[in-house]
Amino acid sequence: MKQKIRHFRIAAAEVVKGGKLYYAWVSFLLLMIAVGIYAYTVQARNGFIVTGIRDQVSWGFYISNFTFLVGVAAAAVLLVLPAYLYHFKPIKEIAFLGEMMAITAICMCIMFVTADLGHPERVWHMLPFIGRPNFPSSMLTWDVIVLNGYLIINAVIFFYVLYKIYAGEDYSSIFPLIILSIPWAISIHTVTAFLYNGLSARPFWNASILAPRFLASAFCSGPALMILVFQLVRKLTKTNIENAAILKLSELIAYTMGVNIFLLGCEVFKEMYTDNVHLAPLKYLYVGLHGHSNLTPWIWLATTLNVSSFFIFLSSRYMKGLTLVNIACGMTIIGVYIEKGFGLVIPGFTPDTLGEIYEYVPTRVEVMVALGIWAAGALIYTLLLKFTLPIYRGELRHNKSPD
Amino acid sequence: MNRREFVRAGALVGVSALASASVVIKDRIITSDKDTTGKETARNLKIRAVEKASENEDILIRMQRDLARAMAKPVESRRWIMVIDQRKCVGCSACTIGCVAENKLPPGVVYRPVISEESGQYPNTKLVFTPRPCMQCSKPPCVPVCPVKATWKRPDGVVAIDYDACIGCRYCIAACPYGARTSDFGEYYSKGTAFGAGEAKENPLVGSSPYEEKPNFEYGKSWSRANHGSPMGNARKCHFCLHRLEAGQLPTCVTTCIGRATYFGDANDPDSLVVEMVAKNNVRALLPHKETEPNVFYI
Repeated sequence: MKQKIRHFRIAAAEVVKGGKLYYAWVSFLLLMIAVGIYAYTVQARNGFIVTGIRDQVSWGFYISNFTFLVGVAAAAVLLVLPAYLYHFKPIKEIAFLGEMMAITAICMCIMFVTADLGHPERVWHMLPFIGRPNFPSSMLTWDVIVLNGYLIINAVIFFYVLYKIYAGEDYSSIFPLIILSIPWAISIHTVTAFLYNGLSARPFWNASILAPRFLASAFCSGPALMILVFQLVRKLTKTNIENAAILKLSELIAYTMGVNIFLLGCEVFKEMYTDNVHLAPLKYLYVGLHGHSNLTPWIWLATTLNVSSFFIFLSSRYMKGLTLVNIACGMTIIGVYIEKGFGLVIPGFTPDTLGEIYEYVPTRVEVMVALGIWAAGALIYTLLLKFTLPIYRGELRHNKSPD
Repeated sequence: MNRREFVRAGALVGVSALASASVVIKDRIITSDKDTTGKETARNLKIRAVEKASENEDILIRMQRDLARAMAKPVESRRWIMVIDQRKCVGCSACTIGCVAENKLPPGVVYRPVISEESGQYPNTKLVFTPRPCMQCSKPPCVPVCPVKATWKRPDGVVAIDYDACIGCRYCIAACPYGARTSDFGEYYSKGTAFGAGEAKENPLVGSSPYEEKPNFEYGKSWSRANHGSPMGNARKCHFCLHRLEAGQLPTCVTTCIGRATYFGDANDPDSLVVEMVAKNNVRALLPHKETEPNVFYI
């Protein structure tokens, strides 16, 4: 036991050890977090009037980021599935990196949702037992439950497996929980889609294709983000990550991106061909409505990025290097971030129920808060990684003194 | 301080902390089914009730009498409805302003805007005014979405908000097909303006001026927006001026309507003017296909 505690300390001490680059990175993140906290105090003091959010567009940048990140969290399942169910070795070795990403993404989701509340001090009203959650009728209550559940499941799996690897013991007893995490990952994104989906007042979201679209785009952007992060980790920490794992993921994105584009096409056809009043939000998004077209260049950028990255991923198996795959990953992340963030949330509110068009633009305060939350996420991931790596690389083992 | 004293002091602090916490929590949690019903909700508003009907009287007098009669019943026996005669509406927005004054609404929060729609091609155009209070739907889409049960349908049909429970997630705003809910984003009319001529240059107002922090009396309670207090940060909506009804007064929008285009009363009272209006005329509801079953009707 004593040794275990000592080893825990050693692993924890790793977190504050590092080269110049590491310190520079961490202090940069801390600075961004400070900026975010400052911006948040401005918002908390003055109310949402300092943001671009108004009654016409009552959800904005925060909820856009939230939606994107739920997708990233759900995408961890794409590593869990081949790793634990098919025992695909190259991916099994890096499954922990994906779980860490899920944990990080959910933490960021919770921060984004809390930042979006008019009365954040009452956030506990949503919690079961101590609060007054409206279960089962409110989808937001469902979301709180599935997101926190997913966080707990992933944290338990992650730390349990980590400990067992450290102790050199078999961790297969966690298997049922790993199995549970697979449908749960699907559920978090489905519930998030239902959050929008269930509102008959917003025809843009009131399409049954929304949840499948959410999952398809999540399974593009999540692995794309992972591919980039994994290579960074490999380069900076000398962790062994096989190219086979990365190529497998990029092959997967080719399929999911194909499905994503197909589903978008289905949606566009149905709206365009029926051509009724429900078309207005889609028109606002793609061609502009009554001279209002703030989002138009963005969505076309996203569409171009998504379609071209699809072709790159499709041909990735014939490629030698990873450069083009990396570029395509960047394109996918940006494309989905726009399509699923702004491209989904804002047109749902534009034009609003009374036909008014308010063009939402996030203010500096919102951007600063969002940057702070992204920095907080990056910090969580960095610290988790620092803590984990000595154990995964086999430097720290029970009954073995660290070198 | 010896060990025993320390334990005792610790226990004392712990117990008092728990007690105060439970008081705070109990104070904050007002469950939605706590609406008081029955005899104690009946109001005896004699003054208006005795007034006799006379020929050519203002319809406000008639509705005032109807109101007193309705208030004499327990809350669950009333069902408030509103009838708006668009043929009589001139689009003056007096109801909007009256409502803003009555409920001390900040900029951006409007319970009853008047929407003007122009249709046709010049020179054959026509202008239609649609005052839009909360529809107080019988099947309100805003109620089930609330994650904290902060909004619910009262026994008399009004969809109410508990300002102390609302967390400000704005989900209900997204759910309402009529745009009847607005959020209090913390704006002040006087923000950034000079308060008082002498102070103009050296002291432009940073926050609010005192009159904007005076409490309003929605739901029969006192609410001040000072120091980011509720209803700032909350969802807000029309509540048929419940606090005025309790005092035997008609909703402000009804009394300020210069064309007498807004009727208000109890749908369960066959002798009331609103029932007469609903029965006699070809009334319609907004967005009937949404199946929200509004309790505001238009002629």
